[in-house]
Amino acid sequence: MDIQQRMISFVIKSNWYLFVIVTLLGFINTPFKFALGILCGALLVTINFHFLRHTLYRSFKAENVLSAEPRSILNVVLVKYYIRFAISGIVIFALINRNIVEPIGLLLGLSVVVVSIMVATALELTRLIFKEAV
Amino acid sequence: MDFFTACVWAAGIAIGIAAFGCGIGQGMGLNGAVQGIARNPESSGKVTVTLLIGLAMIESLCIYALVVALILIYAHPQAAEIIKTVVAH
Repeated sequence: MDIQQRMISFVIKSNWYLFVIVTLLGFINTPFKFALGILCGALLVTINFHFLRHTLYRSFKAENVLSAEPRSILNVVLVKYYIRFAISGIVIFALINRNIVEPIGLLLGLSVVVVSIMVATALELTRLIFKEAV
Repeated sequence: MDFFTACVWAAGIAIGIAAFGCGIGQGMGLNGAVQGIARNPESSGKVTVTLLIGLAMIESLCIYALVVALILIYAHPQAAEIIKTVVAH
């Protein structure tokens, strides 16, 4: 398995692991609203990531790229991005406006994907460094 | 300009700049990916995975900006104190 495939499979798994761990820790250690913020943020961003993956894999199949206009692929991906972003915006707006969750908890939850990508990158980097050292 | 008007201005400008920048960044990334795959279709898998990670990072930046903008408007942490100060004056 090459580096990219390893990283993406790690990120997909670690998203869900981090989501579960952070949410559980939140419900155990922090007030209910804060934990709910973590839960909603993490769920939102993880689902968003899966939709993004689905869109990209469908749009970037080699046969699709060769047969379709490059502009149409760009437009499809960008339009789907803006739809996803609008839906996320509406959900986050409702959560903050109605004071359902603590905003800092929400920010923490929204960082799940970023953290798992950073962890995956750090792991791959250490693997590369140790490989070169050996 | 009073504090809350400034907050609304700041939130609007922040999310505008963030969405604009993220849109441009994603567009450029996608453009490069499409061209790369069109020139070398066998690299499709690698390019898609790298692009996916890049786009996820860019997208999260925009979501952060959105949350900060919404916090500025609806859940400013010092709103109550500021209202007290304004009323006292």
